[in-house]
Order: sequence, then C-alpha cells, then structure tokens
Amino acid sequence: MILNRRKLLQTAAGTAAFSSLLRGDDTSGIVATPHFKPTAKRVIYLFQSGAPSQLDLFDYKPVLEKLRAKDLPDSVRQGQRLTGMTATQTAFPVAPSLFQFAQHGKSGAWVSDLMPHTSKVVDDLCFIRSMNTEQINHDPAITFCQTGFQLAGRPSIGSWLAYGLGSENKELPSFVVMISQGSGNVSDQPLYDRLWGSGFLPSRYQGVKFRAATDPVLYLSNPPGIDGTTRRRYLDDLSALNAINQNEFNDPEIAARTAQYEMAFRMQTSVPELTDLSKEPESTFDLYGPDAKRPGTFAANCLLARRLAERGVRFIQLFHRGWDQHTNLPKQIRGQSKDTDQASAALVQDLKQRGLLDDTLVVWGGEFGRTVYSQGKLTADDYGRDHHPRCFTIWMTGGGVKRGLIHGETDDFSYNITRDPVDIHDLHATILRTLGLDHTKLTFKFSGRHFRLTDVKGRIVNEVLNAA
Amino acid sequence: MPRFSLLIFAALPGLLGAQTIEFNRDIRPIFSDRCYTCHGPSSSTRRSPLRFDTEEGAKQKLGNHFALVPGKPGESELLRRVTAGNTPLRMPPVSSGPALTEAEVSLLRRWIEQGAVWEKHWSFIPPKPVVPPAVSDAAWVRNPIDAFVLARLDKEGLRHSGEAPRETLLRRVTFDLTGLPPTPAEVDAFLADKAPNAYEKVVDRLLASSRYGERMAMRWLDAARYADTNGYQTDAERYMWRWRDWVIEAFNRNMPYDRFTVEQLAGDLLPNPTLDQRIATGFNRNHRGNGEGGIVPEEYAVEYVIDRVDTTSTVFLGLTAGCARCHDHKYDPIAQKEYYQLYAFFNSLPERGNAQKYGNSPPLMAAPTPPQQAYLQEFDTRIAAAKAKFDALQSRVDAGLKAWKPAPGSQWFTARELKNQWSADSTVFDGKNVRDLGDNADFSFQDPFTISLRVKAASGDGALISRAKDEPEGPGYSLVLANGKLQANFVLRWLDDAIRVETTTDFPLNDWHHVALTWDGSRYASGVTIYVDGVAQPLKFNVDYMNQDFRQKEPLRLGGGLGTRFRGQLDEVRIYRNALPVNEIRLLAIADTLDTLPSTSEKLRRAYLDQGAPADVQIAWKTWLGLTEDRAKFAATLPTVMVMEELPTPRDAFLLQRGSYERPGQKVSRDVPAALPPLSPDAPRNRLGFAKWLTDPKNPLPARVAVNRFWQMYFGTGIVKTVEDFGSQGEWPSHPELLDWLATEFIRTNWDVKALQKTIVMSATYRQASKASPEAAEKDPNNRLLSHAPRFRLPAEMVRDQALLASGLLAEKLGGPSVKPYQPAGLWKELSGGEDYRQDHGADLYRRSMYTFWKRASPPPMMSNFDAAGREACMVRENRTNTPLQALDLMNDVTFVEAARRIAQRMLNEGGAAPADRLAFGFRLVTSRRPTPAEAGVLSNALRYNLDRFQTDPSAAAKLLEQGESARDPKLNPSELAAYSTVASLMLNLDEAVTRQ
Repeated sequence: MILNRRKLLQTAAGTAAFSSLLRGDDTSGIVATPHFKPTAKRVIYLFQSGAPSQLDLFDYKPVLEKLRAKDLPDSVRQGQRLTGMTATQTAFPVAPSLFQFAQHGKSGAWVSDLMPHTSKVVDDLCFIRSMNTEQINHDPAITFCQTGFQLAGRPSIGSWLAYGLGSENKELPSFVVMISQGSGNVSDQPLYDRLWGSGFLPSRYQGVKFRAATDPVLYLSNPPGIDGTTRRRYLDDLSALNAINQNEFNDPEIAARTAQYEMAFRMQTSVPELTDLSKEPESTFDLYGPDAKRPGTFAANCLLARRLAERGVRFIQLFHRGWDQHTNLPKQIRGQSKDTDQASAALVQDLKQRGLLDDTLVVWGGEFGRTVYSQGKLTADDYGRDHHPRCFTIWMTGGGVKRGLIHGETDDFSYNITRDPVDIHDLHATILRTLGLDHTKLTFKFSGRHFRLTDVKGRIVNEVLNAA
Repeated sequence: MPRFSLLIFAALPGLLGAQTIEFNRDIRPIFSDRCYTCHGPSSSTRRSPLRFDTEEGAKQKLGNHFALVPGKPGESELLRRVTAGNTPLRMPPVSSGPALTEAEVSLLRRWIEQGAVWEKHWSFIPPKPVVPPAVSDAAWVRNPIDAFVLARLDKEGLRHSGEAPRETLLRRVTFDLTGLPPTPAEVDAFLADKAPNAYEKVVDRLLASSRYGERMAMRWLDAARYADTNGYQTDAERYMWRWRDWVIEAFNRNMPYDRFTVEQLAGDLLPNPTLDQRIATGFNRNHRGNGEGGIVPEEYAVEYVIDRVDTTSTVFLGLTAGCARCHDHKYDPIAQKEYYQLYAFFNSLPERGNAQKYGNSPPLMAAPTPPQQAYLQEFDTRIAAAKAKFDALQSRVDAGLKAWKPAPGSQWFTARELKNQWSADSTVFDGKNVRDLGDNADFSFQDPFTISLRVKAASGDGALISRAKDEPEGPGYSLVLANGKLQANFVLRWLDDAIRVETTTDFPLNDWHHVALTWDGSRYASGVTIYVDGVAQPLKFNVDYMNQDFRQKEPLRLGGGLGTRFRGQLDEVRIYRNALPVNEIRLLAIADTLDTLPSTSEKLRRAYLDQGAPADVQIAWKTWLGLTEDRAKFAATLPTVMVMEELPTPRDAFLLQRGSYERPGQKVSRDVPAALPPLSPDAPRNRLGFAKWLTDPKNPLPARVAVNRFWQMYFGTGIVKTVEDFGSQGEWPSHPELLDWLATEFIRTNWDVKALQKTIVMSATYRQASKASPEAAEKDPNNRLLSHAPRFRLPAEMVRDQALLASGLLAEKLGGPSVKPYQPAGLWKELSGGEDYRQDHGADLYRRSMYTFWKRASPPPMMSNFDAAGREACMVRENRTNTPLQALDLMNDVTFVEAARRIAQRMLNEGGAAPADRLAFGFRLVTSRRPTPAEAGVLSNALRYNLDRFQTDPSAAAKLLEQGESARDPKLNPSELAAYSTVASLMLNLDEAVTRQ
C-alpha cells in the first residue's frame, strides 16, 4: 500500500497545527506584529574581518602629514589600553596615510584613492566615522560584533533576526553566510562557525554557510549514482513509511520531519539555481568586476548576496578576511581594497537599479579600527597599524538609512571620537529598528534571564535614519 | 520561547482549578519574571524599599498602605497596580513591558485571598524523604516513581499507558543505557525470554556493558565543555582525552556521584592524590584558553576563573551564578560579593591569561594510560636490574680506572645525544666576520636542546651563536653578549611572541670560559638555563611569552646574529638533542685533558667507562645508561592533561566592579552564598572544602540537580525543565515530590549512579508505550505528565553510531586520542586559511561519535546539524530541532551512504535468499523490529524500482558503490547491491530510525 504523498501531507498539516508552532516546519518568526514600521525587510552585512584601517580609507586626517614620525602625544592617547603587541613599544610614531584622499559626490565625503568605485556611490552611503567598541583583540571583537557580547555562547545577529522575523522564503534558509579570503593578510584572523551560530536559540536559527564548493550547502548533492528522479521516488517512499508510523503514534513530529525532507528536496533545486551565475548577463560582471566569475571571491559573494536578497533571504552575511595590517599595510591594503571596492559599490548600484535598495539594509565594516601610530618601523613607504577600538568607520545604505550622510567625527589623529559616538550595541539597535524590531523587546529566556542582542544597552541612532 | 512559557498552564488545566495556590509554583515565577528587576534581590537596581523576593519586604508598611494584605485582595496595593491598565500607576510600568495576563492576576488574587502564604524558594529547602502517594491503579506501580507519576495523572484525569511492545522497549533501554541499538540477536533473545525478570536481566546486562560509561559520558562532556582545541582565535589542538577517558571509566566503575564530584573539583587536594584523581580535575581546565597575540593576559585570567565558577554552579548547583558577575543577582539570592567569594576558590592555580596557542597550557601533567603505566613500570624494573648489574662491577671499575693511563693530551666529552660539533680555535672573530655552520641545529620550540661552547670574549657585545634572522630582534634563537651580559633569545615576533633571559652579572672578558645554554622545550623562560663554567647563572626574565615556533630557515651562525658580530675567539661548539642536566654540563666545562685529571675525577671515570673499560663493563654501563635515556624519551611521548593545582599561598581575590578585570574592588575571602548552608567550620577553605560542601546531604541542590539531569536523558525533559536553572526564574518542577524522592533516594544509596539509572528504567513509567492518546495529545501535548513514554529524536552521536553498528562498521575501542572521520574537504581551511582537516583512514573512520575530534571553531558538521552542544561553554539542556540540513546529511553524507551500502551487503549476505526476507533483515538492523505488511509493501516496491533503475544504468550503481573507504564484497552483483543500498538508506532516514520511542 502506498499512500498518496499529497494526501499524507494534508493529514499531517491538520494534526500538526498546534505543535508546528514549536517545531521545525514553521517559517514564521516570534514577533507577530512588528514593534515599529519596518523600513527594511532584509540585511546584507559585508563584514570586513581583521579590521580595515579607517585612516587609509575613509577618515581623512591632513594634519598628520606635519606630524609624521613624531611621537603620538600622551594627551591624545589618554592611557588607552594597548594590545600586547605594541604595549611595550618605546615609541608611537605617527604614520600619515600614504594614500591620496579626495572629496566625492554632493555629500563631499572624503574617500581615499584605494576605493575608486566606492567613491562614485558616496551619495548613496551613510558613513559612520564614530564607531567604537570595547574589545581590542579579534576574537572577542568579532564575537562582540556578531552577538553583542565578547565571549562565545550568545546568538548571532542573523539568528536573532531569523528567530524574530522568520523567513520569507520556504526554499532557502533565512540566514546565509559566505566567506572569502582576502589577498591582504592570508594567514591571519580565522573565523569560527559560532560567529553565525544560534547560541542558546534553537539551532534551526543558525546561519547556513554557502560555500564555493560542489555542494554550496553541506551535503546538498545526492550521492553519485542517485539522480533527481530516484530521489523524488525515494522521498515518496519515505513519506509513505513515515505516514504509517504517524498513524500509529499520533506524533506531529513525524509529519514535521517529512516536511523537512520536502524542504531539503526543494533546496536541492533552489540552491544550485541560486548559485548558478551562468544566466547573469555580461553587464552584471562588468558591474561587479571580473572576480565575480570566480566562485568564492568577495565579488562573487556580493553577486550571490543580491540573488539571495531577491529571493527574500532575511540576513545575508559576507565575511571577507585579511584586513589585519599590523605590518606591511600599504601593500596589503591595496589588495584588500581591490578585492572589495568594486563589488561593494556594484552591489549598492545593482540593488538600487532593481528597486531592492529601499528595503534592503547594507552594512560595510569591520570589528574595530587601527592605530594612527605605526606598529613596527615607519619608513617612507611602509608602516603597520595595531588594533584600535576607540574609533573606526563603517558605512550603511538602503533600508531606511539616510543617504549621502556623514555621521560622527574623530580628532585630528583619528584616535578619539569628538562627536556622536556609536557603539556596537547602538549599531545593533539601529539595525533591528530598520527591520521594525525594538531591541529591548526581542528577547529569549535562557538560564533565568531574558537575553537580548543588545544585552542591557543600545541606543537607536535615529540621526542616520529617515524619519519614520 | 517566551511566548510559550505559559502554555504549561494551558497544558495542565488542573493548575487553574479550584486547588490551593502554591507560592513557589504559582506566585514566585510571576514576581521573579515581572517584578524582581526593580523589586528584587539586587540592591543596585531596586527602585523602592518594596521587594518581592523576601516576605518582610513584600508585606511591609509602605506609607499608608500595604502591597499585600493577606486575605484581603481589595486592600492590597499590588492588585490595584497590576490591574491599572495603561496608566502611569500600572506595574510593571508601561515602558518596561506588557501588563500581567488575566491568568496571572487571577493567581495573585486567589493567593492573597488564601492568606498570601510565603515560602522560601523551593530548591533552597533541603529535600525531605517523601512517602509515595496512594494511586488509582496500585497494580501498575512498579516502584515509587510510578506512584508519583500516576498520582499526578489521576489528579489531571489522564490515564497511564500500557507497557511498550518488547522490541520497542528493548530498543529504547539499549539506546538509553548504551547509546546504541540492540542487535537482532539481542532482540530475539529478549523476545524468547519468558522469565518474569527478563527485562531486569537486560537492564543489568546493559549497565554492566562498557558502552554504558561511554553513553553516560556523552552528556557529561557537554556539561564540562570538553573539546580537542583551545578555542578563541587560532583554536589549535589541545589534549584532554585522558580526562574524557577518566569520565568513561568512572561511570563504568560506578563511582559514587559524591566522589565523582569531589575528584573532579578537587582531586588534587585529596591526601596523596592518585594519578587518576589528579586527571579528574581536568574538568575545570576544559574551558577555552586564549592564545591570541596581543591580548591583555589579566583579562583572560579572569575569564577562565569566571568560566569555572559558572560551569561549577550550573552543573552542581543548577544556579545561574554568572548573573552575579557584574551586579547582585536580579532573581536569586546571590550577591555580587558572594559570587567573587566563590571565584576565590577557583583562582589559585599557577596559570596565565595568555594560554598556549598550541597544545596544553600549564598546569599540566603527564597522564600515562594504564598500558603506558605498565610499560613505565617495566622500564623501572629493567633499569633497576641493569643498575644492579653495573654496580656489581664497581670494584673492577675502580681497579681498572687506577691502572688506566690515557694518552697524553687525550680528551673526552659525552657523545650521547650529540648532534653536531665544530672546533673553531683558529678563527678570530673581529666584529665583522661570521662563520656559517650550515643548515644545522634546526630545533623547534618544543624540542629540548643544549648548546655548549668555549668563549674568549674581547667585548661585551655580539652574538656567540644564532639560528635567526640576522637583524635586530630577528626571529629565531640566539645566544649573545649584550651590554656585558649573556643573553638568550627565542623569538617569533619580538615582544609578543618571544622569550628573552639574561644573566645578572657581567661575563668575564679576555679569558676562556665554558658557556652552555639549555632549552627544555616547555616554551617558558623557566625552561632556559645558562651556565658559565658549569655553574647555572641567576637569570633575569625580560620577556616570557612564547606561543609559536621560533624555527627559521636560516643557517646556524657562529660569532654573529641579530645584526651583531662577536669579537674574540670561540671553540668546541657542541649541540645536543636534549637539555643536558647540570652534572653533564659540569663535565663539559672541564677543559683539562684526561692525562692531567686525578683518578677521582668524574670526567676521567666517564671517559674510562666509554673507552678504557673491558667490553663487559662497557656493555653493562651502556645498557643502564641507555635504558635510563630510553625511559626519558618514552616519558616525553606520554599524553598530557591540563589539571588543577593549588598555589602554596592563595591568590588574592577581589570583587570586580561590573565584572571587569580592570576594576578590582573590595578584597573577598572564600565562602559560599549565605542562602545555602554554611561551609562546615572544620572543612578546609579551599576547593576540597567546597566540593565536600557540595556533596553534603544538607546541601539542598546538588542531588536534585543531578537526578534531574539524569531524568532528562530518559524523558527528554527534566522534571525541572530548566535543568540549568533551579533559581526563581527556573521552571517549577512537573513532579516536585518525585524530584525530592529521587534526590533523597540518591543520597540514601550513597550516590549510587547505576542504581539510580536502574530505578528509573525499571519503573512502569519508563516502560510505557509511546503512543499518545487523543486525550493526552490535547490536554498535555508536551507530555510533561508522562501519560505515555516520550518520543524524541536521538542525540547526534546516536544517529551516527546506530548507522555504524547496523552496518557492521563500528570500530569499538574504549577511549584514546580523538579521531577524524569523514568531513567535507575545506571546512577548516576556509575559516582560517591554515591547515585543513586531515581525515583518518581505516578503523578510525568508524569509532563512536564521542571520540570524533571536536574543533571548537568548526565542530563536526554532522554533530552540529543534529543539535549537539557547541562545547564553547557549559551546556546541560538537551536541544532538539528538526531541519532540512538534517535530511540532507542523513541522505547524502558519505558516512550514511557508506553505512547503507554495508547494510545492503549484510542484507544480501546474511538476510536469506528471498528479497522480502532480506528487506526484513535490514529493517530489523535499523529499527529493531520486523516491518508490518504495509511497510514491507513499500520497501519491496522501492527495491523493485531501484533494481530496475540500476540494472538499466549499471554505471550509476558503480558510482554509488564507490562511496566510502570500506571494501565492498566483490561477489555481489553491483546493481543489486546498489538497489539494496538505496533501500537501506531509506531505512536509515525513517523518522523511526532516528527516534527513540
């Protein structure tokens, strides 16, 4: 006896009505009605791992040229803690950027010549030059950016959103992660699966990594020798067998499992369709640059990000490694900028021309900034920069963010913030706000506490948002 | 999920019936969740004198009114406030969250009506022996567990279920006690055993199996955040598997739980601790260690202690003490000061905040396995015998030595472990030249070595010998003169990854002196010794932070290095592959030729033994020496484990304001929270005293917390669902009296772990069928009342282990280093750019999943897909989700594709000749039962379909059968094998296959 699969699913749907809320076949989020009117439906977070130097990209400090190689005044440093890498350095020679800055667009934003493509879209961007964080080492700082807490164990921002808002797409995960290796510092700064983990949230909210491999999602492909037709038939048989058990046990979990197999089957089609760039016109590659044809590059991932956004994936996060320029900064940062500049700008333009930028929030930035003084020897054409948590620059666009805005300001050394500081909790609160979520209300009770992404802090930076 | 937290009330309709309101069950959770933030235990956030965590605080007079007037809801301000709608009067304030629900208000009202009776928080009241209640169906009751469960079902008007079918029951109990399913033979034996105690015999057999210890250890490893890597940035390998094996062994030997607790927390402080007792303390060294360059060590030294306190509190006390790190606990009676009093028990070990990036960080110890211990013993016996044999020859040695006349000018230096030697007496170093000694002395930072040479220095600056970049502070190692002092450098990156030590007195110039440098491979400055003329010099440690290998592709340079050049003469350069002890260095320092030495000279004696003695004496001498050296070499290969160790003088502990290492406040001393029983006055104020306090039957928490966690293993959910939180934010127990009965019984039986497991699995409650009646499904959809046995998905380990067992691939071996089974290529590399996962081959592909190498940054993907705990921090709650990634994994992961192929092979070879029999055989391997006719129908249709397909397309069959490294039976027809293989995969993917029901 073979049960009709559709009939089975109908029956299953009936019994599962109540408990599906608690279980895996549900794609809706915990927040039934948004706390605010959302201005964004999804987020693309272009995470620059290793910490790009604000001093060489976006935070122009002409005064430094005159102070070249002079010791950083104590009045600027103000006893700020240093990493063990430079704490014992005897001198802190000021290292002006080697790169040329110019003002761009109507907004007059300063951008260095490392980012020629970004320079062209500055009027679509909102620069926040007054970002700051509490952490001075990569692991805790990235963990803090991702989870709102420096130690591993809490849910990542994408997991919070998947939990809060659910998915708009039944064939793709709601939180997708893609990684690329920069050409700057190849060996440094590892990433960790937990950066997109769900912490104490149920693990179905964890980010799913899309890889530049035969299987973009782990175990996606059928084993060699099993084709789609065989798999379809296999799933029908599996449903039939599970249905027999379902009748026996009256356990809605059985139907839920069958439903997950159907979702898996749909992913076997939808993911390859998503990652297949062969139908993209040549103009796409002109826009994103030639790297976009090489799977696994930042450019290819940016293009995939647009395709994921088109399909309603809630949180798309790219990690680009290699921004940790302790030494040899000029050479390395050229490579890193080349990796990311064109594709980042292309993504903004592409979303815009497709009408997606209005409801897609894009964030570009790393985990902290870099020091104005040189780590190691300062020469005419070489220097390094250590970690600097006190200020750094990120940019955002889309999804209700004001465009052509420069928010916040740092001192002449890009060492201290002089106006409108924004910390990581504030950034998180603001991101949630664009999605219609009140960061104080998106909570999960664990270990006796109502946890939230912003811990006990966070201020929405309304100044960078369009009036609701 | 918060929005479901109140469903338990809906699920348990009786709660809202006419019964007495219980403060702890019904009222405290409301106060705690909705009021404590401003009216709770935390003095810093309390907004008014009114507080709901103490009776006095809640019932005090407030101006001209009372929040609570027992018996008079109308006069109770509390009730007025919580029903004040959206007005400024409302509590909790409109700004801080939604109003109380009607159900909550009704509970409060009735509680006040009934007299507002206050109780101490339930879990802080010690459990008392409870008499099992009378029930409707006494015949069903097999032990007191059932009386408690049934009494509750009676109250809610639900019925219990009958016993599960025998195959189901056997499968359930075999998974629960050993983590593996029964074999068909075991099923047959049980079905055939008609003895009334057949089931009990099975239980006893399973409890005696060594698989039991492995199964019990699985969840303990989650709680203890066990992993094979250090975590944080580099996340390189560490070695804690000896501790993991200790856990398995402890369960298998049925170590009482109180001893299990004491040994893991304080085994090192027991009188004359055994090796095992010290290994046990690895429990609190399983936390992550940060080796990232440039961290502030003090910051992480604090984090490690915090982790120990939080883990210990969660695992043994069921308290979320960590909340009190930054401020007084908002819900439970743990003041911030008390948190740091606990902290003070765990901060006194010789550890550093900057952990080793690679390998174990001190304190650590060699932890030989039992066979290795036996081997060491054997060494000692053989060494003693060899020494005795040599000692017996002493008179001949003495006589021979007296008569020995070495040739004039002859020399001797020990050649054992000698790697290279050079003489350079004619070279004069003039501050410009350097002698290239080639690609020699290429030591890594974990290799011990010795450099010995004679030096006549003309200036107090310049490198004597180096294998390093020839630039200031260059990476590599070097022995140099700097400002008149001898200085040794071991550098990868100057300052944050380097060691520099130097002597404190000026090195004498213009005379020949012997200089030696030894490095013991420990990666600490304390492992460096500099000798001058055979005397170890006092050293100043300038930099002591070596984390990565200093090894460089540079030549060994004599008379130069680090951009400096030596002036003077150098001679008799010797490099040894070990760190020579002082007595050997002393001999190297003696320059005199043999013929000038007195007969009492040790050097002469050694030379005689090497060169002049009769052959049998030389052999006896070399045998003894060789064995001693071999033993040392063997000892260096022993596995190590990180352990707890107590500093002779306890480190001071301070309250850290806002939990920050940078803001120490008042000094605190070791103590336990005042809300719990005090430490016994005669107990030592250290971890041992603390551990004994935990296991004192007067302590209300540890026994309850332990039995509740065991309960979770069998029923999917604890009696207290929040297994990690027995505080006021935790969930009220579904069966409070049962919890107390189990806890007191556990203590009464001297914490007999196996006896407790047996009591649970022998109960009628456990043995019920898992089919939900429509009534139960409606009234109690989460089955918290246990009207039937729960069905839940197997833990990740068991999903894989079952496939390995059914396929016959499982390689059973207890313990040992972790293994690396199949994993998709590139997962490690794409995260770090570094080395990728190197998969094992052969039997190590098929070990039980608890032995799979656990990298914190990139856990085994199959384990993560199936909800395994992350092992970053303590996790005691079992999680289960149901995702499409699990489906993809089970269908397509080579682990399961290969297992399916091997099950197919077994179906064809062992399942009989008829397809139906073969399918039934395979079905039984996977589900422990025979298929029903309906199921058999689906399976045989599936087989026919696949046979057709693979016979039409044999190349598809060939491709499928290539999956996995295990051999396939060449006698079998490939198309047939592929078809059975696909059906076997279907079986492994059944809901029933991955479910314990």
